[in-house]
Amino acid sequence: MKLTRAVEPWVLEPLERFVLEAGARLTLVMTPSGQVLAQHGFTRAVDVMAAAALGAGIVASTAEIARMMDESTFHALNHQGRRHGIFLGACDTGRGRLLVLVVYAAESSSVGLVQLFFEELAVALAAAAPAPAEQPPVLAADFERDLNESLATLFRP
Amino acid sequence: MADEVKRLTAELARNPGSLVFLALGETLRARGQLDAAARIALTGLERHPHLADAHDLYARVLADAGDVEQARDEWGMALRFDPKHIGALKGLGFVHFHAGDFDQALEHLETALAADPLDQTVVQALQTVRAAAEIAEAEAAAAAAETEDAVEGIADVFAGLEGARQGLLLVDLRGRLLGGGMRDGTDRDVAEPVAAYLAGASQEAERTARLLELGTWSWIVAEGTEGSMHVSQPSDATLLLVRRDRSVPSGRLAVFAEHATAVARAWLEEQQG
Amino acid sequence: MSLRFQRLLDVITRVRGVQGAMLVAGEDGLVVAESLMEGVRGNAVAALAASLTKRFGRAAEAGGLGPVSFLHLQATDGALLVVPAPEGMVLVVVADADVNVGLARLEMRRAVEEVA
Repeated sequence: MKLTRAVEPWVLEPLERFVLEAGARLTLVMTPSGQVLAQHGFTRAVDVMAAAALGAGIVASTAEIARMMDESTFHALNHQGRRHGIFLGACDTGRGRLLVLVVYAAESSSVGLVQLFFEELAVALAAAAPAPAEQPPVLAADFERDLNESLATLFRP
Repeated sequence: MADEVKRLTAELARNPGSLVFLALGETLRARGQLDAAARIALTGLERHPHLADAHDLYARVLADAGDVEQARDEWGMALRFDPKHIGALKGLGFVHFHAGDFDQALEHLETALAADPLDQTVVQALQTVRAAAEIAEAEAAAAAAETEDAVEGIADVFAGLEGARQGLLLVDLRGRLLGGGMRDGTDRDVAEPVAAYLAGASQEAERTARLLELGTWSWIVAEGTEGSMHVSQPSDATLLLVRRDRSVPSGRLAVFAEHATAVARAWLEEQQG
Repeated sequence: MSLRFQRLLDVITRVRGVQGAMLVAGEDGLVVAESLMEGVRGNAVAALAASLTKRFGRAAEAGGLGPVSFLHLQATDGALLVVPAPEGMVLVVVADADVNVGLARLEMRRAVEEVA
């Protein structure tokens, strides 16, 4: 069963390489607003939606702290648990700023490995991203349709 | 029963946030309508993510569909919300029983029995698991008698070499044994766990050497407090492990390992005809 | 960075053939202190050395060898040496392929004793 899927195909190969090298259990590539471009390891749409929303929220609140400190936006965050860690990184591409949420097991990976290969992922995404296109205004109905289509792609058997 | 489905569906439509989805999901599952049952269970889980009964329902649907791994995860989730949930305990008992882990199966079923001593399905399940465990123990004793012959065959790769059965191991890149054997200081057979942990070691060594611009990796030595291990790659698809205790100096270990690598290469070439 | 760590690492880098020495957090693979020649990627050394040590540590324990006290990866153009250090750290050395391993190891062990 293929565990890695992408709504936007250019993300797929860099993501697959990252997951293999970093030993990530779960990964999401998304926009800062929580729109998911690709995922690895998730088996339920409800988990993807929740993780994307929470991840985007964490990054947004951390950006606010950075602003209060007169600091430019943080590029990476790491939360270390006993058995798992969560890493959130940001990178800039022609498609815009992207966030990458990674869940890794402490036994088979580490924040050092994830950071190391995240740097390579950021370079690969920047190189693979298509040129920015005119973005039409997003209507509520369009958003819901796009979300449902994305979820269908991310969980296609 | 079709009327029952209609009735429950209508009730759920009137009150989508109610728990009637549990009864509807179970009814659909019992009728074998697993896709519909799964959709009902997942929709219910979106509204009631902390309800143990909902996770139990989804787990039963997954188990019926053959996805035992995911069913186990869902029952595990149910127990996190309700550690005495009978359905989840029975479910995990079933999962472990079918995986051959009778100890774990018994542990879950005994917990279920303690939570509800009158549940006859649990009593019956316990009897079944205990009987199966006794048969398995008898079979294991018989199999142990054949193990020596099996070891004899696997050790042939390094026949005549010092430590052929306890300090030399040839494995493929997936951790499967090809030849030799390995025992620890207490004479315990550790070939399989060592092989399993070293599966992927060559890729890790290759990656390390490549990314740090060290060239092509040749070998790795790991020295522990009780002994040393030398790991090399006789071919692209195999790993050779040589284990020695602390009394063997590292230089001598390296010389011996080189010789063992040559023996392994010759054997591999023979196998390829 | 602690001057004390820096001093200890600098002594190791004086061994001929050593390109760099680092103290690394063993679980995280993150740099604690480093003394590296130009061109040596510290964060890569830290992450990869820690990962390799963890993997071989598990294999060594499974094989009844006890905790790893020294790890040596030999490659055609270089070598990686690892020694456990206090507080879950590891001391890592990147070296040329023909480094005097015995001498490097001696200095690494001395440094680790001073870190304690």
